[in-house]
Amino acid sequence: MSELLEVKHLSVGIDTVQGEVEAVRDVSFSLRAGEILAVVGESGCGKSIMCKSIMKLLPGNAKIKSGSICINGVDITSYKEKEMQKLRGNLFSMVFQDPMTSLNPTMTIGAQIAEAVLIHQPKLSKAEVKKRVLELMELVGIERAEERANLYPWNFSGGMRQRSVLAIALASDPDILIADEPTTSLDVTIQAQILDLLREIQKRLGTATILVSHDLGVVARCADRVAVMYAGKIIETGETQEVYYDPKHPYTWGLLRSLPALSRGKDRLYTLPGMPPSLIHPPKGDAFAYRNTYALAVDYEKEPPMFRVTDSHYVATWLLDERAANVRNQIAEAMGNVDAVGAQNGEMETKQLCRKRCIEKLESGGNFEVLEQAESEEGQNSETGQNAEILLDVQHLSHVFPLSKKHVIRAVDDVSFQIRRGEILGLVGESGSGKSTVARCIMNICRPYSGKIVYRGIDVCDRGQFRQNKKMLQTDRQLIFQDSGSSLNQRMKVKEIILEPLKVSHMKPMHGSYHEEALFQMKAVGLEEQCLNRYPSELSGGQRQRVAIARALITEPGLLVADEPIASLDVSIQAQIVNLFRHLQEEHGFSFLFIAHDLAMVEFLCDRVGVMYHGRLVELAPCGELYANPLHPYTKELLSAIPVPDPLKERARKTTEFGSDKYVRGGRMEEVLPGHYVEIDQ
Amino acid sequence: MKKNKVQYIGKKVLIFAISVFLLSLITFYISRMAPGDPLVSYYGDRVEKMSPQERERAEERLGLHKPVSVQYVQWLKQAVRGDFGISYKYKKDVLEVIGGRIGNTLVLGGIGFLLIFVLALLLGVLCAWYEDSLLDRMICKVGTVTSCIPEFWLSLLLLLIFAVELRWLPGSGAYTVGKSDDILDRIWHLILPVSIVVLNHLWYYAYMIRNKLLEEVRADYVLLARSKGMDKKQILFRHCLRNIIPSYLSIMAISVPHVLGGTYIIETVFSYPGIGTLSYESARYKDYNLLMVLCILSGVVVILCNMIAQAVNEQIDPRIRAAEIMEETEVTQL
Repeated sequence: MSELLEVKHLSVGIDTVQGEVEAVRDVSFSLRAGEILAVVGESGCGKSIMCKSIMKLLPGNAKIKSGSICINGVDITSYKEKEMQKLRGNLFSMVFQDPMTSLNPTMTIGAQIAEAVLIHQPKLSKAEVKKRVLELMELVGIERAEERANLYPWNFSGGMRQRSVLAIALASDPDILIADEPTTSLDVTIQAQILDLLREIQKRLGTATILVSHDLGVVARCADRVAVMYAGKIIETGETQEVYYDPKHPYTWGLLRSLPALSRGKDRLYTLPGMPPSLIHPPKGDAFAYRNTYALAVDYEKEPPMFRVTDSHYVATWLLDERAANVRNQIAEAMGNVDAVGAQNGEMETKQLCRKRCIEKLESGGNFEVLEQAESEEGQNSETGQNAEILLDVQHLSHVFPLSKKHVIRAVDDVSFQIRRGEILGLVGESGSGKSTVARCIMNICRPYSGKIVYRGIDVCDRGQFRQNKKMLQTDRQLIFQDSGSSLNQRMKVKEIILEPLKVSHMKPMHGSYHEEALFQMKAVGLEEQCLNRYPSELSGGQRQRVAIARALITEPGLLVADEPIASLDVSIQAQIVNLFRHLQEEHGFSFLFIAHDLAMVEFLCDRVGVMYHGRLVELAPCGELYANPLHPYTKELLSAIPVPDPLKERARKTTEFGSDKYVRGGRMEEVLPGHYVEIDQ
Repeated sequence: MKKNKVQYIGKKVLIFAISVFLLSLITFYISRMAPGDPLVSYYGDRVEKMSPQERERAEERLGLHKPVSVQYVQWLKQAVRGDFGISYKYKKDVLEVIGGRIGNTLVLGGIGFLLIFVLALLLGVLCAWYEDSLLDRMICKVGTVTSCIPEFWLSLLLLLIFAVELRWLPGSGAYTVGKSDDILDRIWHLILPVSIVVLNHLWYYAYMIRNKLLEEVRADYVLLARSKGMDKKQILFRHCLRNIIPSYLSIMAISVPHVLGGTYIIETVFSYPGIGTLSYESARYKDYNLLMVLCILSGVVVILCNMIAQAVNEQIDPRIRAAEIMEETEVTQL
């Protein structure tokens, strides 16, 4: 196959106040016609900047420092804006992360697609343009295109918007499609649909695609080749199967292992320690050395070159050097040991073991072995759970949002559940299923339309009772939001943010002075002391979420409600936060309502899981039971949507789809098995 | 849908009527409470020599001897019938007095407003296009300085330079005596006042356009538009400008009273025979009937402009129409 796009020794720098960020450092790769190349890495590793530099869509303070970008053998590195405009859309186009903001809100979808068609074929007649627009909309799977073309972006759901963006990108039949995290902000079930669509388009139109993602599980489904990026460099590249079945770089091992699908049935999630380094002054030697359990002395001194494994598989790690052969053997030996001993030592476990387990599980058609173990644990938990007092009792909660005088949306529809002292309840469902509204009603942010919420015997929706117990209710229930970037005040220092709940409720710090208390809480959530005097904007997403957790726990709450606390984080960071929650819950013993939009992470944290769909609670069961024996079709769909980081299995995997038209509202919750409630049609 | 529209308009008219009524009530009381002698504007300097009996009789003739509330009811009754009384100073029907002057103010304010509207858009787009260039920074700096200068001082300064020292432009009035029909002469007289109105307000709106445009340019959808292959001009005019026009229109509508207020002051400085000068005189000499009508007139303009701004926003911005579209699609019924 011919090389369609060839990037050689590309370096991109961004000027910031603190200094120059070396966002992309000496990256070389090539893209052949009609293949899908996945670029994977954590946030802040320069994936986006690399894509934008190919399109020359870099922000004003960023520039290409060296290297070349060739398309069809033509060097476009020095092309001016005018020349680039002719290429954009025509030769390559881009799909962005957030379909909510990447469409112009004041133009109809049809008009925005038509615009993209007209730019490169200005001579088309109106009828021809319209025909092409409808054709494109059908291509990306938008049904009833004719009437939908006249709708505005806000009438569309996230998945539909991303399809529209894809239609715009494909308007002039580009040779290369760059998709920058196209599914990150979408629901899991929609994510699979969009990925399948990308694959289908690539097959039908032969569009070469660069798919950027932070999740190795996601790209296994459709990538032909994978490039792993770390700290601005490509550190491993190869055919998909080579990278997944025989990864050589310790970073790739870490990324693969931090995926929840591989830790199924285990106590704790494996986490990749730390986070990517700042690229203002990139560390000397191998940038990954500081997070690498197998780091060699030379890693801190000299950058590793690309070692060839096979003709298509290249890896940059000193572990592949001849002189490191004995270290390789030691690691292999360690792997062997772990295999024999079992999963006792999480740190020493290796990718091969992971892979083996994953395949075993899938081959046995489910995960019975592992789940048995989980179930027996579950049994103990639920025993203590049953004896414990009921802390929160939600009874027939309903909430409606009026759209106009005649119509309302039933955001929450007759939801009942209980949380016992020390129990972790997971609430899962796609966006718009009413999970957040339930959380807000519990926290007295929303007033429910009907139903009762009883907390420690107090009806919190009753104004009189609420007023009498206001202080207790406010300090004893705490909420963590999804996006701590916007839910923490940007003008307050971390220390002030953490201490605020204490000060507003006039509580005495338990560990001496306020400062000592703040320090204690910071340590408890794994933050360093110097973060105390920083502002939230100076922290990474994971660190900000830790601040939010520290803020919530400082009043020693009896109930913690977390509204999608990990949804906006990288997979590797998600695992860190989930482990932290688990650890803190064991230590403090608070009850915990954990809200998430997919089932992958919930398993490692919750005692019981409830599934919400269109405002209804459709299934509620102990965690292990739910995963082993999902009964409601929607739960089955959610479970089948969890991506497996194994290309062969992943491609063979069929997602079961549960159309919303099949859902009949108004079923009844029935206890099918002990503790397992399912909504049953009447 | 139709019924909704009638309801909507009815509601607006009701709010409007209540606002005007409250405005008239407040103005009436405040003007009576303010110090000063209304007889001076009617009888001139003769008032000083009047005996108490003569004063009483004069007050009785003008109906000023009754309690204020009674006077208000009487005024309201007549006003509803369209009779706003006579101006004490001009001894003519109030509407007639205003009718003779309002054209001048409309010309001054209207031309000024239109110029501000167009020039602000132009300057704003220019600044956004050449963001952070020398031109952009110059325009912004000059703008900040000019809008800090109070308009009466600026008018005096320009008067001194162009009318007194250089004698290029006339310094007062709306036309040269005896040439009231000469349009060129009228334009000649308008140059100074209009340029002051424009100079004072232009920058604020130009700056607003610039910032709003730059905000739009940084939006994600611009990145998508660029990756489609659109050029800067197309993006700026087809996407960004289009998106800020609704808010610009509504802000301009709200700004009408602001510009009007400026016009009043400038009219006074230039002795320009318009509503502004008239308002100033009537307030100063307690020409009650005239003052009432002028205040209500200005108030009506303010209220109307705000209503127009809101209506414009609702009509242009499709996001506000969202509710209507939602109604068409099927949603769970309560």
